[in-house]
Order: sequence, then C-alpha cells, then structure tokens
Amino acid sequence: MMRIARMIWACLALTLAACGSPPGGRGDHAGQVVTVYSTTDSAVFNPVIADFRRLHPEIRLRYVELDAGPLFERFVREVDGGQGSADIVLSSAMDLQVKLVNDGYAQKHSSSAADALPPAAKWRGEIFGLTFEPVVMVVNPDLLSAEETPRTRLDLVRSLRDRLDFWKRRIGTYDITQSNVGYLLAAQDARQSSEFGALIESMGKVEARTYANIGVLIDDVAAGRVALGYNVLGSYAKSRLTQGARLRIVYPEDYTLAVVRAAFVSRTAPNPQGAHAFLEYLMSIRGQRILATRSDLAAASTRVPGQYGRLGVQGAAIGPLRPIPIGPGLMTYLDKQKRERFLANWRTAMGRN
Amino acid sequence: MRLKGFRSIRGALLWRLGIVFAAGMGALYLAATSYAKFAADSSFDQLLTGSAGSIAETLSITPGEVRVDIPYAALDMLAAAPDDRVFYRVIGVDGKTVTGYSDLPFDTAATRRGGATGSASFFDARYRGEAVRFVTLGREVRVGGRSGWVWVQVGQTRAARSQLARQLTIRALLPIVAMTVLAGAVVWASVGRAMRPLEKVGQDLAARNAADLSPIATNVPREVETLIAAVNQFMGRLDKNMNVLRTFIADAAHQLRTPLAALLVQIRAAETNVGPARKDSLAAAGLSAKRLARLVDQLLSDAVVAHRAEARHTAPFDLKKVIEHSLHDALPLVGDADVRFTTELPEAVMLGDEVMVAEAVKNLLHNALVHGAADDRREQVVEVLLRRVGPTLELSVSDSGHGMAAEAIDAAGRRFNTGNPAGGGVGLGLAIVRQVAESHGGSLRVENRAGGGGLRVTLEFAAA
Repeated sequence: MMRIARMIWACLALTLAACGSPPGGRGDHAGQVVTVYSTTDSAVFNPVIADFRRLHPEIRLRYVELDAGPLFERFVREVDGGQGSADIVLSSAMDLQVKLVNDGYAQKHSSSAADALPPAAKWRGEIFGLTFEPVVMVVNPDLLSAEETPRTRLDLVRSLRDRLDFWKRRIGTYDITQSNVGYLLAAQDARQSSEFGALIESMGKVEARTYANIGVLIDDVAAGRVALGYNVLGSYAKSRLTQGARLRIVYPEDYTLAVVRAAFVSRTAPNPQGAHAFLEYLMSIRGQRILATRSDLAAASTRVPGQYGRLGVQGAAIGPLRPIPIGPGLMTYLDKQKRERFLANWRTAMGRN
Repeated sequence: MRLKGFRSIRGALLWRLGIVFAAGMGALYLAATSYAKFAADSSFDQLLTGSAGSIAETLSITPGEVRVDIPYAALDMLAAAPDDRVFYRVIGVDGKTVTGYSDLPFDTAATRRGGATGSASFFDARYRGEAVRFVTLGREVRVGGRSGWVWVQVGQTRAARSQLARQLTIRALLPIVAMTVLAGAVVWASVGRAMRPLEKVGQDLAARNAADLSPIATNVPREVETLIAAVNQFMGRLDKNMNVLRTFIADAAHQLRTPLAALLVQIRAAETNVGPARKDSLAAAGLSAKRLARLVDQLLSDAVVAHRAEARHTAPFDLKKVIEHSLHDALPLVGDADVRFTTELPEAVMLGDEVMVAEAVKNLLHNALVHGAADDRREQVVEVLLRRVGPTLELSVSDSGHGMAAEAIDAAGRRFNTGNPAGGGVGLGLAIVRQVAESHGGSLRVENRAGGGGLRVTLEFAAA
C-alpha cells in the first residue's frame, strides 16, 4: 500500500513518461542504512546477515557489536539525548531488553511471523525472541569420565563437597559482577533452584575461577586447566566443539535454562521501515532456518520444525528445558538494591570480598 | 383519522419502541461502561495491591537505611496483564526514592488518605506517555528512634484493564441488542396478526350487496370493538332512515294520487258538462289543483326541514321578526279572518336555523288559517302570542275552529296523520313543526282551547 502510494507520488513528482514501466519494488529502500546494536558475535550472525543482504540488497546493515551493559547505556544515552541511535537492538541480556521495552524505548511490530512465536518469547508486541539457547555445563572429558560427570546441580554440589582437592580452582563460571548474561543466569538459578545457595557456597570453597568472557572459560576447559564450566551458553560451546575442541556438553537434567535472544525496533528508529523489514526477516521461516542450521541456534518460531534437533543432541537428552520467559518479572533482579544484595551475597559465597 | 406523521401502526410502534430501546441502550452503555471500568479496576487493583504488599513485606531497616528485597513474584504477577508496562519505587522516610523509578508521579493527597487507614490507595496518572494506574502502600517504621512512613508504589499501564472493561461492556450490551431485535420482530409479527380481523372486516364490507346494512359479525379484538360497534350502529341508523324514506315515498305517492285522481275526474266532468254544471266542475278542479299545489309545497317544506336538520346552520336570530315576516307572507290566505299578533317583547333572540323556524311558523299560520275556519255564523279569529317564560320563548297559535278529537291530538305531528280526515289536510304541517321543534331542542304542544274555542298549538324554544 505504502509502496504503491510512494510510487504514485514519485510519478507525480517526476514526469508521466517515467511511469510506464512496472515498479521495481525494491528501489524504494535504496540507500537505506539499518543500524543494529547487538551483543551477539557477528560471527554467529554472519550467515543471516549475508542472506538478508541477498534478499534486500538495497538495505545496508550497520552491525555494531557491544557488550550488554555498555550497549544498554549507550542506547539509552543516545535516545534520551535525541541523537540518532540504533534501529534495532538485539541482545541476549533479556532483563536489560525487557527494561528498555518497559521504559518505552520500543515500537510495535505486528506480523504473522510474530504470531508464530511462543507466548513466553514475546512481550507487548514489541520485543521478540529469535532463538533459544540452552545454558549448559562444559566438561573436559580427559579430567572427568562420563561416570564422574555431574548430571544435575545436586550432583555437582555433592561432587564439589566430596572431592575438594580435585575441584580446587578447576571449576569456572561467569563473573556475574562483570557479565550481564552471567548475572541473568545466576539470578534465574537463584529463582529456580533450591540448590543454588549451596552451589555457590561449594564453588567458593574450591576457589572457583570466574570469567568475564565465557570464551576464555571454554578455552580453559578445552585446555584442561578447568574441569567443568558452569552456565555456558550452548552456542559457544557447540561452535568450539565443531572446531575440534576437547569438550563434552552436559545439559543439566534437573532443569536446563534457555536464554532467548530478543530484538526490538527502537521507538526513535531513524529508519523504521528497514528495521521492521530486518526484524521480520529474522522471524521469518527463512531467517529462522538459517539461524538454526548455520548458526547453531535453536529457532524460536514454532513454524520451524525440530527446534532443538540442531543443538546436536536429542530433545530427550535435554533436561526440562526452561526458556526464560520475556516479561516484567525479569526486571526484578535489575532493582538497584536487589542487585547490590545479590552481588554481595555472591561475592561472600565465592570468597571474593 | 391517521396518526400524525405515521402511515402505519406497525411503523409507529417500531419507531417508538426503537426510541425507547435506543435510549435504554444509551443509558445501559453508560452504566455498563462505568461498571465495567469499576470491575476491571477492582480486579486489577487487587493484583497491584498484592504486588505492592509483597514488596512491603520485605521491608527491613539496616541502621539508618530502608532496604527492600523485591520478590520476583512482585513484578511477575503483574504479567497477568500480559502487555502492560510495570513501574515501581520505594520511598524512604526522608521522602527520597530508595529504589526503583525515581521520577514516578506521586499523589500526595490520595496517599495520605490511604496511609491514615493503613490501606492501599490508588490513583491514575500519565507516565512516559501512557496512562498508568498506581497503588501506594504505606508502612510505619522506626529509624534511629523516630518513626516515619515508608511508601511502596507500584504502577501498571491500563491496556489489560481497558480490554477487560471493553469486553465486559460488550457482553453486557449484546443481550440488549438481541432483545431489541427480538422485540422489533415480535411487534412486527403481532401487529400483522392483530390487524388481520380488520382486514377481514374490510373484505367483508367490500364484498357486500349495496342494500345489505346488517351488522358486521366478524370477531375483532377488544380494542376495535368500539369502532365496529359504531359502524354497526351507524348502519342501523342508516337502515332505519332508509325505511322511513321508503315509507315516506310510499305515503307521499299515495297522498298525491288521491287529489290527482279527483282532478282527473273533475276535468273529465268539465269536458262533458255544459252550462253551470261545467262551471262547478271547473271550480272543483281548481280547488283540487290548489290542494295539490299545497301538498307539493308541504312536501318541499318537509324536505327542506329534513335537509337543514341534518346540516345544522345555527345562528342567533330574532323570532319576532320571523313571525312578522311569516304573517306578511300569509296575507293572501287571511281573507276575512281576524289575525292578531300579540307580544310584549321588543325582540326575541334565539339560537337556531332561521329558515327552519320560519317554515314551522309558516305551517302553523297556514294550519290555523286553513283548518281553523269557524262556522259561518262566527268570525274567524287567529291569535298569535309570543312571550317569554323564564328561559323559554313560547309561541302559540290559536284558532277559532272545531279543534281536534282527543286521539287525533295524541297523533298530531306524525306524518300523513291528519287530525280531520274530512278537512282536506294531508298531515305534513304539524310533522314539519314537530321536527323543527325537536331539532332545536324545543317542544310542541297541541291542545284544544278551553271552552271549545278551537285548537291551540304552542312551540317552545330556548331563548338565547
């Protein structure tokens, strides 16, 4: 409709002679730039970006990769300051994404592709989950045999208590004071698991290593410096595994959290049309299929079959998968006092005062 | 008569019913909207209160500082309104925001009211471009030996409330709309049903023989019984009038035939006779023709009176002048008679039809002059007296004839009833007078004068 209206307007503006040929259809996006702020490695997203370029050569994607915290602060600063900021924000720091939407930084996007998302993967018709990503444990198979490998958090706590010497500085996890995703995962653990307190207590006792960058943790596990990495994003582990690293991926059998990478179109997007086009592509069957096959991410859309098949394991091998629902509850742990207290408790338990 | 502005009963009913239902629906819409908003607010307000309460439960005081530990459920439970944004803050004893959104609007008055009773207070305000419903909950705490209030404020946008309110309103209105449509259909159908007997009456009347004036026998609803009764009564009257007319025509024909027959005989006699006998026959024929003329005159007069009685031309006029005119007109009949008109009234105004009354007076004078002739040895006297008795004007005409037999007096005033079969009258004059009297609400009195001095006819009218 819009396209036709524009064409007619163009015809009026130019001369009637130019209107004989049928509309190009894509020419109206010519020279458009869509700015994406994202926490995801561009390596993970390269396949979909390349495919989108093939589909919409007239739209140029400007892909800005940032850590979750700085991304949040920069985006808010730029929008509040009235500067042109991102058209689309894409992040696995779901809590920060939800807060941005709650505070009115997003705009509505409606389409049948959006309807095909499960209800827990969208909110307000503004923010949409694109991929599920299981949160796993990575194990060095040389240090821990299949029998010794803990399958649940309770197993892990018992093992940590029973084999203090073995585990000394040989377990690693996020430094949640530095990583937003790590903080989100720890907070969800605290909410979901009654063993979480005991777990960090035990980790503290064996002087667990903490990492701001989870890639380094995976490297350390693969190199044998660390026996087990706790709360690792499945996509990172999977891609290292395919690169030939010595790793075993464990999906905790008590429950396996799944992080949802969520995207929204900025309310003040300089190029909303292009932004909606890109978001729609990411949720489309084509985009979802490429995310699933080429980027090793589980598609969020219910239209893409075998959502978890691409994770490299049978769905049955995954414990109860608990995707973290997108909703206002996520803002709880962003509360200033709550966060301070949670981090203080964590530091105390981990012995990092 | 047609209802003003409406061509059909059905249309009128539907129109009025429509207005009533539209007004009812408007009122109901307002009531439903306000009730729905109230219902939606009260159910979602409970959620807000629950959220604020669960935050307030975690209040703790570390030396000099208020602390809260926002429960996950506090915000998550508000996701029952799936698309609504959520805002909260906790305000410390010093009035500063302890945690949460520090720029939330705050309704101090509403908060004080709620705070005084220790219960939650609610208010609506705009925040970040949307209408937001807020609850504030106060808790009295002691910090550093002094007591003060800590406020927990939780807000949520109104999308789910509005949606619920809309649904409730629609559900409340749907039955009303259905009822309206149903009522319309019922009115449509039942008016059709109710009108069916009337249609049948119409068909019956249309199919009737023109002479058939029998009552309508169709069963009709009670509401139109009066109409049918009136029609039946009217037809009854018409039937009676027709019968009277038929009788009259028959009588009139009979009355006309007798003098005509006599006339024919006398003319024939005149043709054959010679000399003085011929002269007598001609005289007799002339007398018969005169009587015939008089009869036709009276029939005409009767017709005029009957017509005017129907038409009712009522106006005030002076009866005295009417009498004087009639006396003047009657002069050719007077001959040797002594006619005396006595009245003390300067004028006698009454309401009525002057022409009819004039006919009546003319007939009275004619009767007195023609039939009141005395024996040859006495002088013929006609006395006309007009006086006023109370509210009544009384006109009496007396003659000096033989008067009438008692049974004839009783029958006087009926058509073709002559008081004196030998007298040559046809019995129309008094009938006309009676009709005039009756159509004016007056009366006619016929009596023999005391002492055998002839007949007195008295007419009474109401004076104006």
